[in-house]
Amino acid sequence: MVSMSFLASLSLSTMEWGASGSSTPSMEEGHDVSLGITLCFSAVLLGLICCLAFEEKLHAKKSVIVGVFAALSLFLGAWFQLLPYGPYEIGGHPIDLPVYIPAIDWNVIAIILGSSLFVDITSKSGLFTWIAVRLTKASGGDPVKLLIYYGWMTVVFSAVLNNVTAMIIIGSLTGVSLRKLGRENLLLGFLLTEGLLTNIGGLLTLISSVPNILVGTAANIGFVTFFLKASPYVLVATTITLWMGARRFRILGLVNDAQRQEAKQLVSGFDENDGIESSGIFWFGAIMLALFIATIASTSYLPLIRDLKMGYVALLFAVIMLVRYRATADRFYQAVDWDLLGFFAGLFVVINVMEHALVLDLIGGGLRRIIALGEASGAGLILVTSAAASSVTDNIPLAAMLSKILSATEGVGGDPSSPFWWSVIFGANLGGNLTPIGSASTLVAVTIIHKYNLKLTFVDFVRTALPFAAVHVGLATVYVLVFLG
Amino acid sequence: MPGGGWLVYLGIGNPASARLSSVVRGTMTNVDQFESVFRAAAKEIYVPRPVALRRVLCLHDLDGPELDAFEACVRKFLEVLREAIDWSFVSATEFTDLDALLKQMEERSPDLILTYRGLLSEGRGWVYSLGEYLDVLTQTAPFPVLVVPHPADEDAWVGRQPELCRTMALTDHLAGESRLVDWAHRFTKVEGGVLFLAHIEDEFTFERFIQAISKIPAIDTEVARETVQTQLLKEPTDYIESCRKVLLDRGEHIETHGIVRMGKRLDAVRSLVSQHRVDLIVMNTKDDDQLAMHGLAYPLAVELRGVAILML
Repeated sequence: MVSMSFLASLSLSTMEWGASGSSTPSMEEGHDVSLGITLCFSAVLLGLICCLAFEEKLHAKKSVIVGVFAALSLFLGAWFQLLPYGPYEIGGHPIDLPVYIPAIDWNVIAIILGSSLFVDITSKSGLFTWIAVRLTKASGGDPVKLLIYYGWMTVVFSAVLNNVTAMIIIGSLTGVSLRKLGRENLLLGFLLTEGLLTNIGGLLTLISSVPNILVGTAANIGFVTFFLKASPYVLVATTITLWMGARRFRILGLVNDAQRQEAKQLVSGFDENDGIESSGIFWFGAIMLALFIATIASTSYLPLIRDLKMGYVALLFAVIMLVRYRATADRFYQAVDWDLLGFFAGLFVVINVMEHALVLDLIGGGLRRIIALGEASGAGLILVTSAAASSVTDNIPLAAMLSKILSATEGVGGDPSSPFWWSVIFGANLGGNLTPIGSASTLVAVTIIHKYNLKLTFVDFVRTALPFAAVHVGLATVYVLVFLG
Repeated sequence: MPGGGWLVYLGIGNPASARLSSVVRGTMTNVDQFESVFRAAAKEIYVPRPVALRRVLCLHDLDGPELDAFEACVRKFLEVLREAIDWSFVSATEFTDLDALLKQMEERSPDLILTYRGLLSEGRGWVYSLGEYLDVLTQTAPFPVLVVPHPADEDAWVGRQPELCRTMALTDHLAGESRLVDWAHRFTKVEGGVLFLAHIEDEFTFERFIQAISKIPAIDTEVARETVQTQLLKEPTDYIESCRKVLLDRGEHIETHGIVRMGKRLDAVRSLVSQHRVDLIVMNTKDDDQLAMHGLAYPLAVELRGVAILML
């Protein structure tokens, strides 16, 4: 069942589809969809992609845009009698659910909601700013050391938190510390390098970026496997990026003792304890973060937790943190990115309807031709085209669509070691380094650059970032083909 | 990834338009929040620099026994400097006008000028100014000026044979004022001396801002009052801690007291000086943007007639 393999990653959907068997129509069963209808739905999908690209012109939030298209898709799906209505069997019991509820990947929604709540509350403990300030002081104010420390911190924060939060923290600190050191002339180079590194850091773990979650869960790649396979690339790509950044932006070390003494004195004014409200909360945040990472990493090995999945772990830790702030928990709800969650929910519904309208089959036909080129050429081509596509459009629908299509592809779906999964993961993440709008974190980097009145146009960014992006994508292609193929 | 950002971006060359991106709008508050956290963490620290004080030029309009008494008094007062001072006592009456006097000052290039209120002033009995010579001298001389009470003043500063034991660095912006602390420290006795580092935040100005904030619906007035006041007072408090630490690290066990408070500045200073029996106030008085003295310096110099004031 084509639709089943994608939904296999969902706890709810798996039970429902798996148990219901013939009670729910599959794509293959309902294969009498005419090409005209498929093309009609393809136009709707194209319209959605265009509207997302013209989001600013429409003055509309992503969730609203996708919500409109989800409603339209459902209506057309009902009109053309494509939708598999319930009741759905869950645990042997028929349950009447609206058709759009099982269409949503609730595990992904739970991971994003739980993680963002957890990270937001943990950041209030002052833990991340403490780490950032400690590293600043450890650099002694030497620009090269500062670039290396901030670069690695960007990668680790992007992996543990998310790209945008990492860029906000490191970008803010970069602005403040370089000003303090009187090195404003290096701001552009630092911020650009950090912006590019967020997308490399986003590759480190299964939960570091949304494409990782989408593709990783669809491919059934475990957290530890993901980390072990992605980390060598992240290590090499980060080192090369820092080296290129230092050369490209002429970031040089301090040359004499007087300079070193002065810089050390300036950074010694940073007080890492200033942002810590209480040491109890600080240590609680640190311990919970370590436990969170450990639990997420071992989810697939832990009895009970394994069945409840990663989304449960994220929500569980969010709830534990909320208990600590039980009297003021509501202020954290305001910080949740409801637009992003609405966007995901709507997107899953749209893609589900597209699946029933055989649009994904149509796109998958083209993709299968690429896959047929073989693991070397095919995987390489998918990686490069995914990167190119996600440099100008949203990488989330791209990852969602491709993961669903790959799930349904013979020889790829059900094989977590297939290099095609990694092609999509690397391509969707690294495409963000080609343009300033290629990823949310690079856009944040550019915004901070503009905040400091530094001139950087779209073309400037592309011209500057192109050598970096080319190295990243080239290196990723070689890595996927040689080591993950 | 944030689709459509590029359209805004292509309205290019205009960073403001790029900022309209929804992603950015959503995150800018956070950028500012984190910047605030890091700015707060980036504290001013006291970086001591040596104060060279070898040549002191004492400017007077006295002669005979009055001059002798005054000379003895100031020499004793500045014993605190702990090194051999090259004193020169110059009578201002030797000069035909102020220009000639200033020229002579520059030629001698002292490290410190010491004089008193009402120097060569016909209106010395009037309490409304420092005197016309001193008014100009304190602002034009490129050297610090130590102004002491007039030898013939009623409270008889000279007659008291004052000893310099309690020194106060006074400002409305202490954080980062290393030079002010350096000088105040230089004029503090190592044994038995007390150094006060005082920061008085002007209550009147603060209330004006809070009144403006109270008319802005988007800002909670009480939250603003509390957080702004806390931050205003935190910076000098942290700086005083840094001064204490540096002095201790240097093995100097000078008794150091921090005074950080809101207040109506003149009243607050009057009360502090009297409460702590301050012998010398050290203040920044020069302002690059104006001819007149910096902020509170002039009114204090005029009003606190019984206390020595070092004007940097």
